[in-house]
Amino acid sequence: MSEQQYSGLTGRIVKYAIHNSTDVYRLGFWVGLVSFIMITLFPFYWLLVLAVTPDNQLYQMGIVPDNFNVGVFLTVVQEYPLHHYIFNSILIATITVIVCITLGSLAGYAFGRVDFPGKGPLLLLLLVISYFPGIAFLIPLFELLTGSLSILGTPTPDLYNTPWGMVFPFTMLSLPITIFILTTFYSQIPDGLEDAARVEGTTRLGALFRVIMPLSAPGVVTAAIIVFIGVYREFFFSFIMTDGSPENWAVLVYGILNFQQQHTQMYNMMAAASLIGIIPIAVLVILAQEHIVRGLTAGGLKE
Amino acid sequence: MRQKVQQAVSPVFLKIEQLDEDKYGYLLVAPVFLVLGVLAFYPLVRTFYFSLQDDDLTGVHPIGEFVGIENYVQILSGDANAILTSPFFDLQAPFSSALIVTLLITGVSVAIGTILGLGMAIILNKEFKGRRYARTIVILPWSIPIVIQGMMFFLLFQPSLSPFVEPLANLGIFSSNPLISSQDSTIIIILIDIWRKIPFIALIIMAGIASIDQNLYDVAEVAGATKWQQFRLITLPQIKPVLFIGMIFYTISSMKIYGIVEASAGCSTVPTLTCLVVQTFRQQRWATASAIAFLTAVVIGVIIMVYVVRFREADAS
Repeated sequence: MSEQQYSGLTGRIVKYAIHNSTDVYRLGFWVGLVSFIMITLFPFYWLLVLAVTPDNQLYQMGIVPDNFNVGVFLTVVQEYPLHHYIFNSILIATITVIVCITLGSLAGYAFGRVDFPGKGPLLLLLLVISYFPGIAFLIPLFELLTGSLSILGTPTPDLYNTPWGMVFPFTMLSLPITIFILTTFYSQIPDGLEDAARVEGTTRLGALFRVIMPLSAPGVVTAAIIVFIGVYREFFFSFIMTDGSPENWAVLVYGILNFQQQHTQMYNMMAAASLIGIIPIAVLVILAQEHIVRGLTAGGLKE
Repeated sequence: MRQKVQQAVSPVFLKIEQLDEDKYGYLLVAPVFLVLGVLAFYPLVRTFYFSLQDDDLTGVHPIGEFVGIENYVQILSGDANAILTSPFFDLQAPFSSALIVTLLITGVSVAIGTILGLGMAIILNKEFKGRRYARTIVILPWSIPIVIQGMMFFLLFQPSLSPFVEPLANLGIFSSNPLISSQDSTIIIILIDIWRKIPFIALIIMAGIASIDQNLYDVAEVAGATKWQQFRLITLPQIKPVLFIGMIFYTISSMKIYGIVEASAGCSTVPTLTCLVVQTFRQQRWATASAIAFLTAVVIGVIIMVYVVRFREADAS
């Protein structure tokens, strides 16, 4: 290779790059990192700018705010029942978490610590559920949970516009991942600890709730957080199972969509409402980042 | 009181105590499978049963007579298009036919999202100051509510507000109101989907990278392999199984895309498969909606099969 190929500015850069390849990697690393963070954060930043821009200035706004109208966050809560929707979301997510952890612990213990024939196929059956789209369950579930189905002449209870109309579908959607996460964690507790408790006279079920669960507390917390986030961000059944008014247990989905449909020009309010809706999740993500990462990978990689 | 309860339940506990290992296992998984039997397996079977019936728009219950595969024939042949809000499959109008739009969104999003996710995984896997914060930031887009993901981009592409719509329109990339154009909105939906899925696939790939034996890199270093060679010959083959699982989950999730559409451009502008099922269901056409839902599940199944076959082939060679 002759020196001539390296002439000119580009040539010099190429030459530098070849001789100082670590510097180039380091530069690439920082450029990559900064771009990923900017791409990630930009839509959040845009919401903030939009929220604090007073509504009479919305149409000439740039990407830096001129005025700060922080009051918009108060207005959204005072004039619209946004907090009511968020409360419904948090309550329904919490009920789902409790149901899933209780049922999932029993199954997770069995899959992780008890040997019985047919374990593999049963785990596979759980995985199969997560392959199906929500629409494959929608119509029969709607029929079952809204009292349109009769069993031996008695109609099923009408749960439309109640929290249970959402808790049941959410439980169904969240149970497989709960069990995958708990199975992984429960199987890691050494047998000796459980045996010791049994010798002390604890029953088998007692050992699960008094020994295994406390020892796998990080696993239980991980599963709980993954289920909570999953329910809080869910759209499909939240959208179908209520009529959209907060008194009828409508969740955050409607808290946000109602702005779009009823107050079409109030873009700053939409942005403020969205930011408030993110707060519970942002707090969880900041506090429990490690748990989320672990839960996602444990759930995703369990095959 | 407490004593009474204990007395009442103690025989039950005693029974449980005396069960052999197998029965104890079945007893513990029974509640979950009972719940899932009612809430998951029964609905799946009933969806298929509905899809073989006729729609009944006048009766008390929206399900009519048994018609066999008639619904499927009508949907696939295009005869059902007259009653659907948008065709299931129509090459003449690709941006308004549900199957094509959904496959397009999924294909482009998975391809670009996986490559970017791989990049993010490699970057976040390095040791650097503030890595914890960087990880926290990048998982935000995945974890926030779906309705807000859609709302963000709805606001970002509002022609009256956004500083981007006009420049993009001047460049000829978008029309002046992208959220009412099917073609532009499909691109916007792809953007949202990529933006929110990168963290998901990146985390899964990171778990794969973390499990690679560090000695492999040390040996490669001694042998004089460049970083690119190390990536191509060590990292990529080692993370292949993980990458494959991540891509399957990514694909399934994009195939059922719905919430971000409803919260941004709307189902009439970007008619995905789930949109079509919900709209048909809302017209009281339960049987037709069930048939489309079942077809969607079949399409997803076929795609997964393709992945598995490809993976086996790549693994064998």
